[in-house]
Amino acid sequence: MRRMLMAGAAVVALAVSFGPGAAQELMVPIGEGAFNWDSYNAFADKHDLGGAQLTILGPWLGPDQEAFDSVLAYFAKAANVDVRYTGSDSMEQQIVVDAEAGSAPNIAVFPQPGLAGDLAKRGFLTPLGEEAAAWMRDNYAAGQSWVDLGSYAGKDGARSFYAFPYKADVKSLVWYVPENFEDAGYEIPKTMEELKALTEQIVADGGTPWCIGLGSGAATGWPATDWVEDMMLRTQTPEVYDQWVRNDIPFNDPRVIAAIEEFGWFARNDKFVAGGAAAVASTDFRDAPKGLFSSPPQCYMHRQASFIPAFFPEGTEVGLDADFFYLPAYAGKDLGSPVLGAGTLFAVTKDSPAAHAFIEFLQTAIAHELWMSLEGGGFLTPHKGVNTDLYVTDTRRSLGEILLGATTFRFDGSDLMPGAVGAGSFWTGMVDYVGGKSAEDVTAAIQASWPR
Amino acid sequence: MSSIAGTKSGLTWAVHISVALLVALWLFPTLGLFVSSFRTADQISSSGWWASMLPSEQNRTLRTADPAAQVQQGALWVIEGNLFEGGTPATISAWGTSSRDIAAYAPGETADLGDDGRLTVEANGDYRLENDQEFSGRRGQRVFATARTPPEFTLGNYRNMLLDPSNREGMTRAFFNTLTVVIPATIIPILIAAFAAYALAWMRFPGRALLIAAVVGLLVVPLQLALIPLLKLHLAVGIGKGYLGVWLAHTGFGLPLAIYLLRNYMVGLPRDIIENAKVDGATDFQIFTRIILPLSFPALASFAIFQFLWTWNDLLVALVFLIDATGETTVMTKQIVELLGTRGGNWEILATAAFVSIAVPLAVFFAMQRYLVRGLLAGSVK
Repeated sequence: MRRMLMAGAAVVALAVSFGPGAAQELMVPIGEGAFNWDSYNAFADKHDLGGAQLTILGPWLGPDQEAFDSVLAYFAKAANVDVRYTGSDSMEQQIVVDAEAGSAPNIAVFPQPGLAGDLAKRGFLTPLGEEAAAWMRDNYAAGQSWVDLGSYAGKDGARSFYAFPYKADVKSLVWYVPENFEDAGYEIPKTMEELKALTEQIVADGGTPWCIGLGSGAATGWPATDWVEDMMLRTQTPEVYDQWVRNDIPFNDPRVIAAIEEFGWFARNDKFVAGGAAAVASTDFRDAPKGLFSSPPQCYMHRQASFIPAFFPEGTEVGLDADFFYLPAYAGKDLGSPVLGAGTLFAVTKDSPAAHAFIEFLQTAIAHELWMSLEGGGFLTPHKGVNTDLYVTDTRRSLGEILLGATTFRFDGSDLMPGAVGAGSFWTGMVDYVGGKSAEDVTAAIQASWPR
Repeated sequence: MSSIAGTKSGLTWAVHISVALLVALWLFPTLGLFVSSFRTADQISSSGWWASMLPSEQNRTLRTADPAAQVQQGALWVIEGNLFEGGTPATISAWGTSSRDIAAYAPGETADLGDDGRLTVEANGDYRLENDQEFSGRRGQRVFATARTPPEFTLGNYRNMLLDPSNREGMTRAFFNTLTVVIPATIIPILIAAFAAYALAWMRFPGRALLIAAVVGLLVVPLQLALIPLLKLHLAVGIGKGYLGVWLAHTGFGLPLAIYLLRNYMVGLPRDIIENAKVDGATDFQIFTRIILPLSFPALASFAIFQFLWTWNDLLVALVFLIDATGETTVMTKQIVELLGTRGGNWEILATAAFVSIAVPLAVFFAMQRYLVRGLLAGSVK
């Protein structure tokens, strides 16, 4: 005990020297490299906030947080602001408590638009103004849809632009191991018909085509909602998709049921899924891709968003050891190449000049380019004015180009639906569906849970 | 028990065996956690911790050296080396080069890879890859090996948590912040509760029974109910988010149990001593400090352990009342959650984190455990 106390005392002596929030060094000296430094200088000339404090609460931790911190360092220097970012994995709960009690940070980063919309409705968010919305319309690919993503009805019922989308994910991707495809002589499918044929081919060759895992703690089921949304976009027009998301057509519309059954074609067949259909709901989504890399491979393909390489085994190099292809559309249906995506949203939860300066900073090309050049966080941007050569890997660049070149771009529908459905009955319903319930029963139950 | 002659030994045995079983039941998961804390994420997800103790037959995916390592020998281009370079050596019983047939060859055999040359792999992992033309590409040839691998453990998780420069500072700060939260949050409720318990046990005043009933009633109120109103109050009176707020919150949430436990213990103290003291002219305060407090030490100590463990492991109260957006205040539990990464990707450090954060409570427990057993019976036996 005494030795421990002495060791403790020694650590105290060490700890005294730590100053909180030490200033972060800039990773690239200003003016160097192919970055758009003009946008930085223009921003720096316009803003000097005299050392004001800006607090940001977001969902990023670990390497993602490091990457975001290095971007923030430039904002801190340009606008002379003391920026503090805190990450939390329970950010969604924490922001509600803090907003209710009145101890909210200046800026909150929402991983889901549903929650931002709730807070806007209760009057906790400050509108960003028409100027920011107009900027987004002009400078983001598919700009209007991004503006819609960040626009909600406020406390007074008037709809305005509250949340600035920055950092996007692409969801319609299938991950595979090129060497395994080579060994078996499989080609990358270009159409949904080919993908289905390949799935059957793999089974005929004695393999298992898919790894699907829906487990995610309290959010179990969400990977299946992405599947269904992708299938909606591949079987119906984007207009029908929008109506479905807004509940203008009921959840148990035959077209929605058909899309769910498309997903069921893959997930409810024991031969198509590693571990059998029963394993789908119980496998954690973080563990699911590991089957691609096991020896012998448990599966050949895994459908997941652009963030998933973080869960590949250590040392896996994307582009070489693992790669992705776009989840193809039906050749027989003329629906273009739809892309499903998601984005994180920055909203002002406690008004201050520094908070608005930060939103302006997000409109500079440099704010996007800096994070593009970093590994952490899997940053992608729909900003049309950035130098895509700055993406840290070729893979990242091609993902970014999917985002820029999508003919139809739609957001994760479950994020747009009311929380009770999009983060509730839709998730649990999909778990029931893969568990063997019929699509009709499941969709009827989800429709019944839609808030009136 | 001992009064029943003849059955003593049988019952004693039964008691001993069931105690041993209960101890094993509790220790078994802890042991698993302990073993897992020394394994890498890939190991944890591919096999159970019990399998890690013995050499095991594993299917491994290995690679030859990159084409950059090739040397020219006469007309041949050759890459030589050992597949287990940089890892644990193992004994190969079968191998293959295609994911379709991972056990195509026995050690010592040569595989013909067509344009990619010929590969020979020995049981100890030595390989020779030769080709008539130059090797190209960036990655070496994949080799699937079925190998008997000896147990392998790593200190990497501990190193990552405690020594990694990007984590060290945060962990150290969190450790001292946690102590700053926990020590006052343990002492303050004990101070208040001891006074209150004495009054409720030995002082006569109207409404005493009602007060006791109210305290018992408060035991069943979930603290989650109070989080937002209490935080609003703290912000309104200017305490804000900070140490004072979290001490007050822990004190408030801990008091009902503390008062209840101590009061029941004190009520059981012999009436004679206290009445004698009163007859001798002692004031209530003197009785409390000279007689009650020393006699109640086991109950005080056991409540101190409870409160210490609860506040040490607490995340919820700290998140609500302490941790603000400036990031200067953080506690161990929060720091550990942060280490898991954005989507919980670094879950392999969970077992390690459990053992790091358990160290201080364990020390406290062993320092005070002789009081715990006596204190647990506080108020239950008269």
